Amino acid sequence: MTGNRLVVLASVLVAIAVAAGVAWVAGSRIESPADAAARTAPPAPSPILVPVEKRVLGANVVTRGTARFGLPQPVSLAPSALKPQAGLVTTLPARNAQMNEGAVLLTASGRPVFLFEGKVPAYRDLVPGASGDDVRQLEQALKRLGFDPGPLDGVYDQQTGAAVARWYAKKGWEPFGPTREQLGVLRALEREWADAEKAQVAAMAALMSMGPAVEAARAAAEFNNRTAAIDLAAKTVELQRLEQSSRQDAKLTIDDERAKAAHGNSAADADLAAQIAERAVIELDPRQPETARISANAKLEVARAAAHRARVGGQLAVQTAERAADSAGDKIQQLTAAKSAATLAERSVRLEGEKAIRAALDAQKLAAVDAKLSAERARQLSVDLEAAKRKIGIQVPVDELVFIPSLPVRVEEIKVLVGTSAMGTVLTVTDNQLAIDSSLSLETAPLVKPGMPAVIDEQALGVKATGKVQVVASTPGTRAGVDPLHVYMEIKVDATQVRLEGASVRVTIPIKSTQGAVTAVPNSAVSLAADGTSRVQVKRKDGLEYVVVTPGLSADGFIEVSAVSGKLEPGELVVVGYNNARAAEDGAKPAGIAGAGNAAAASAKPPPDPK
Amino acid sequence: MPKFWKPGLAALTALTVCAMTYAQAPGPGREEFGLTTKQLVQYVERVEAGIAKCMRAQGFEYIAADYETVRKGMSADKKLPGMSEEDFIAKHGFGAATMYTGQAMQLSNGYSPARVGLGERNVNIFKNLPAAGQAAYNRALLGQNTDATFAIGLERENFSRIGGCTLDAVKQVFSAEQLSASYYNPKDAIVNKDPRMKTALRKYAAEMRKSGYDYNHPDEVEPDIRKRLDTLTQGGTLTAEKMSAEQSAALKNLQNYERRVAIKNHELAEKIFKPVEEQIEKEMFARGVQ
Repeated sequence: MTGNRLVVLASVLVAIAVAAGVAWVAGSRIESPADAAARTAPPAPSPILVPVEKRVLGANVVTRGTARFGLPQPVSLAPSALKPQAGLVTTLPARNAQMNEGAVLLTASGRPVFLFEGKVPAYRDLVPGASGDDVRQLEQALKRLGFDPGPLDGVYDQQTGAAVARWYAKKGWEPFGPTREQLGVLRALEREWADAEKAQVAAMAALMSMGPAVEAARAAAEFNNRTAAIDLAAKTVELQRLEQSSRQDAKLTIDDERAKAAHGNSAADADLAAQIAERAVIELDPRQPETARISANAKLEVARAAAHRARVGGQLAVQTAERAADSAGDKIQQLTAAKSAATLAERSVRLEGEKAIRAALDAQKLAAVDAKLSAERARQLSVDLEAAKRKIGIQVPVDELVFIPSLPVRVEEIKVLVGTSAMGTVLTVTDNQLAIDSSLSLETAPLVKPGMPAVIDEQALGVKATGKVQVVASTPGTRAGVDPLHVYMEIKVDATQVRLEGASVRVTIPIKSTQGAVTAVPNSAVSLAADGTSRVQVKRKDGLEYVVVTPGLSADGFIEVSAVSGKLEPGELVVVGYNNARAAEDGAKPAGIAGAGNAAAASAKPPPDPK
Repeated sequence: MPKFWKPGLAALTALTVCAMTYAQAPGPGREEFGLTTKQLVQYVERVEAGIAKCMRAQGFEYIAADYETVRKGMSADKKLPGMSEEDFIAKHGFGAATMYTGQAMQLSNGYSPARVGLGERNVNIFKNLPAAGQAAYNRALLGQNTDATFAIGLERENFSRIGGCTLDAVKQVFSAEQLSASYYNPKDAIVNKDPRMKTALRKYAAEMRKSGYDYNHPDEVEPDIRKRLDTLTQGGTLTAEKMSAEQSAALKNLQNYERRVAIKNHELAEKIFKPVEEQIEKEMFARGVQ
């Protein structure tokens, strides 16, 4: 009996095994019409529902950028006129070191180079008496640092120098006092000024003496003129007189002389005749002694000689008169010539006098000019001396001062080595104003305008900051690192404690916002009705119901809606799509919600099932 | 007889239904993660679209790579033009430490399956970024392991090293199970469960120990090499050029080790696993897998 049972059991098991095998083969090869129909039939749709939300919608432009500090600016040291030569670098700051106002940027030959805020670069030594914007910057910096330089008037006065001295002393440095050269210049100026004062006095004395000299010249000229005039007048009178008398007198004289000669001749002839007669008497009178004859002869001879002498004398007298008449013409000529000479002399004297007066006046003018120049030089030297005296004090050599427009700064690059000359560009710094170099695609660039706020973040680095669009280039590809398909954009970062420099950050620029929470649904929830109205399908207790809505701003996969017909409240469920069995079969996760693309839609999907 | 007839019939019916149901259930696909080719294409497209969306949200441009590009990236893993797999392994091991430069994969000129899988346009986008932007780009795209692209993860059926937008996108498409480091695709799971494979694994472990290596599974070798490389290169941040002499020597040692262990691994895989796998797959896919 037991054996039979075992046989039956074995048979049953074999049959079961065979049946299972056959069933497996049949199951894998045979498909029932119902299965085929079920497989090919459209799946029963089931709505995918998501809740209506109340949220702020904002359309953003998201891009990337690299944060940097301001563009590197060189720090240059100008050679100081107060020092014979540039110093050698003795200490340098560390790269990336942050420098605040008043910091010692570096030292050169044991002297500090201070950093101050100011837009005008240090270009000259700031010495007592100097004035200008650079001095004002120094005063402002000293004031900020708590060292009162007096009025911020841009003039380096005693108070400024005192503040500089206090500043140097506070920082442990010796203030820069007057140099040996400056003191030497001061002494030389003092000497020159003294000489100029003396020269001024001498010139004034010379000028004062010029007045009497001019008067003397005038008087001398007047005297000479008068003398010449008198002489001329005398000669003129004499000439006139001579001219009037000479002609008549000469004729009368000649006639007189002729008459005298004739008379003399007659008398002489008469005397001769008398003598002849007398001698004849004597001769004829024998009684006359011989001596009488001789005497008569002698008398006759004397008479003859006298007659001869009378004739000759008359002739001579006539000739003399005639000659005298002739000599009167000559004398008139001489007198005329003398008058002309006197006239010339008078003119000459007058000219000489005028010349002398003019010379005296010129000398007076020269003396006045000389006096003025001497006075001017003395005054200028006095001013220079005063200026030099004022400049003697605490000063700031140009190579101990660096003005940077905005502080603090950080050291970007060091251009010199310790031991080299501290002249020219010694290092570069950047300011602490963070900026982000970014770019926009061609399609988003027109949406972004300077001044727009920007949110800056980088999740991986845990940074978050805000900023403003500073620059949007007008032309694509015009900045380094931006290709022709992008437009350069610069974001100015608001003050932040976060270290962003060098980091690649995300830049989000809201270009449109609802300015508050609004009723919003996923984009895919809104459909277009046949009449052109927009509508959403809302789940109600009794089924699905269309609600006509007015669409608003669309962003982040959501769209702002306001119900036109019916009600639409946050939390109500709207249809965003329908489950598709085929999609579920083809894909691991049914993401078949076209256009939804949002977390809310994803959360409404069934759990992942890749199989 | 009547006593046995009823339970026997019931058992027969139950067995028949079970057998038919089992036969009708779709089996695992032949592609990675047990996917069919169609599914793989869809998965790739969804993941790439997800990566592009995520990268856009991060402010980066990313062109979703098409299936062909991703496929090329997958195919490029451990392959070089004109070189067989054996030759590659003999010369470069797994291509991990031996190919390490420290440079971003997009900037690599030589062997870089990761670069191939990204597509040329994305590589060009990367190249146009400043240095900080490049680092941020790879961090956003790949997370910490900047060589672990989607294509590589897909090829190796191991998404444990991916990160960033790639991980975000993969999470949207693949299941949590597929994302786990211990994931085996259905086919491999079936194969691994086979007693013959377990025997083979024991043999593999013994052979490896005999050669001086402490690995129980061939899938443990490459991750171990990469882990050592990450430690040596400080997570891939230290470039080969900036390594100290000591670090360079350590890298060289690791490269030699990688070559040796890769050769042995490949040798044992060919010798021990391949016949067993082929046999099991032959039996398994005779049932008509999709």
